[in-house]
Parts: sequence; C-alpha cells; structure tokens
Amino acid sequence: MTGPAASWALASHLAALSPISFGGIPVILPQLHQLVVVANGWTTDREFADFFALSQIMPGPNFIFMLSLIGWKIGGILGAVGATIGIAGPACTLTFIAFRLWHRFRDAPWRLAVARGLVPLTIGLIIAGGWVLAQTAGNGWRGLALTAATAALMLRTRINPLWLLGVGGALGGLGLL
Amino acid sequence: MSSASGSAPISAELGPRVTLGALFGGFLKAALCSVGGGLLVWTRRIVVEERRWLSEAEFADTLSLCQFLPGANFANLSVCVGSRFRGACGALCAFLGLTLAPLTLALFLGVGYLHLADLAIVQRVLGGVSAAAAGLVIATGLRMLRPHCRRPAALLFAALAFAGMVLTHLPLPVVLLGLAPFSIAGPWLWTRGWR
Repeated sequence: MTGPAASWALASHLAALSPISFGGIPVILPQLHQLVVVANGWTTDREFADFFALSQIMPGPNFIFMLSLIGWKIGGILGAVGATIGIAGPACTLTFIAFRLWHRFRDAPWRLAVARGLVPLTIGLIIAGGWVLAQTAGNGWRGLALTAATAALMLRTRINPLWLLGVGGALGGLGLL
Repeated sequence: MSSASGSAPISAELGPRVTLGALFGGFLKAALCSVGGGLLVWTRRIVVEERRWLSEAEFADTLSLCQFLPGANFANLSVCVGSRFRGACGALCAFLGLTLAPLTLALFLGVGYLHLADLAIVQRVLGGVSAAAAGLVIATGLRMLRPHCRRPAALLFAALAFAGMVLTHLPLPVVLLGLAPFSIAGPWLWTRGWR
C-alpha cells in the first residue's frame, strides 16, 4: 500500500491512537513501530529510528513531527499534514473539552483516584517506548551503553539534552558505535 | 490544591484582553526558542513571566491536566491557554503558533534526510543520535517515576505496563485498558480499607 491510500490509512490509524496516547506520544511508540514497520513496511527500522532522531533535534512539540515525517515519507506534503492532524487533532479536541470540565471536578475524589491509577501505567509505557527505540536504533551493545549513559547523565545532571544528542551523533559519525 | 481560589482574582486583575495574534506569537516564540528540548522552560517563561497569561499555580494546574490527557503535553497546553482566553479560535491559533514553524523545519530536514539517507556517515550520526534520544526518553520516564518511589502499587503497575508492551507485544489499548481498572481500583480500595 502506497500513495494516498497509505496516507489515509496512516492518518486514520493515528487518529485512533491519538485519544489513547495517555502520557504523550512516547507512550504509543511501540504500537507505532508495530503499525509502521512491522505490519505495513511503510518505513524500515532504520528510517523509523532516524525519523525519531530527526524529530528530537526539532524545536517545539517534537514527537508530533516524527509522525509528520513518517507521513511525509509515505505520501508527501498531504501525507505529512494528514499524519499531523491525525495524531494531534483528536487529543487536542479531547483536551479542549476536558479543560472546560477540569475546574468543575477539580476536587472530586474519583478524579484524583483515576489520576493516581493512570500515572504509573503512563510511566511504564514511556519507559517501554524508550526501550523499543534503543533496540530499533540497531547499534549493538555500544549503542545500548550510550543509551544507558545518556539516561544516567539526564537523571544526574541538569545538562542541556541537546549536548547529549550531539555527543551521540558525534560518536556515531566517528564510527565508534 | 487550592490554586483556583487564589488564581481567580489574579487573572481578573490581569484583564486578559489576549488577541489571537498574541496567542499565535507567544507560542511561536516558545517553539522557536526550544531547540533541543526545554519546551517546558520556554513555555513557562513566556506564559507566566513574560505575558502573564497564567499565574504560576494556574500554569502547574493546567500542565498536570495536559500531562494526564492523551496527546503531546505542550500541544495540549497551547489548546488550554488559547481556549481559556479566546475559545476554539484561540486554541487553534495557539496550537498553530506552536507547531507550524517547527513542522516546516522538520519537513525540510526530512527532504534532506531522504536525499542523504544512503550516505553511511548520515546513518551513523543518526544512529548515535537515536541511541542517545532513547536514553532521554527512558530518563524522562524514570524521572516521572521518582515521586512514586514509595508507592509499591505504582511501581508494580509501571512494571506491568512496561512488561506488557516489551515482553508480550500486546497492542497498547489492550495493555492500557486491561491494567487501568486494576491500577485505579486497587490503590483506591486499599486506602479505603486501611481507614
């Protein structure tokens, strides 16, 4: 499947994933990898990881742009716009509605209970997303060591993440991975 | 959380006559400043300190809603801030301000990538960047886990969600909807029984 049909299929799949991406887009990375690479072969493992890397050096809400890039690869500008609307539209619409209810129920015990229950799941899914990415990057044990070192530096220091991405790119470019 | 009682007069005193153009421009600025991440830092600086659209407490309150809801946190935040002052049009303007310029940049980079993707050096550099980026995602998850360190149930369900995705390869909705009833009801029943 290529061209407009594939663009449409991607956009509609993303529109279905968007309202369940609790905790942000990293949460749906494993599912996205399944959809884009495994089930449909729209990108290779390599391109999937590269689009992620490219989106990470973008300013703004950069996870969205990973989907834009995948859409762009599949169907050009229309594919990119479709994927962007697909991933952002439903979640933003939900947010728009939820924001209006937010104040009304801000002290309701059930709302606090729901938040307490969902947050740990969200966190587990985010870490799973990082895990899947570390493997699709396909650099072997040196790459995994870089992933672990980056995570440790990010946790232990207040270093700007851009430096960590730059060091990763430099190590890769020098053929050290 | 008694933020709302304290924040209502503040926003009234600001007399929010926030134009659509200001919403677009404010979020455009936040997006362009945040090269290499740090969108949280820049959004807060512009929304709270520079434009004074929200108080500190309102900002934290709105951000926690956005983190809880599905989707990209800061796209959601732009929708909340925009809709608060100018309804649906405001939400759209703030969202477009945040996304249009970086999206254009991303597509130009993407064009470059597809022309250069076969060069070994490009592949090696991006391979290194994505390995590091995976580390950033994992660190973000671990950082979010910190406040829950003392809640065994939270750690258990985080681990189950991780295992559900990584080990079983089940679809996300199955993992999320399968675990959510237990992760919500479990701690709730536990605390009620404890009393």
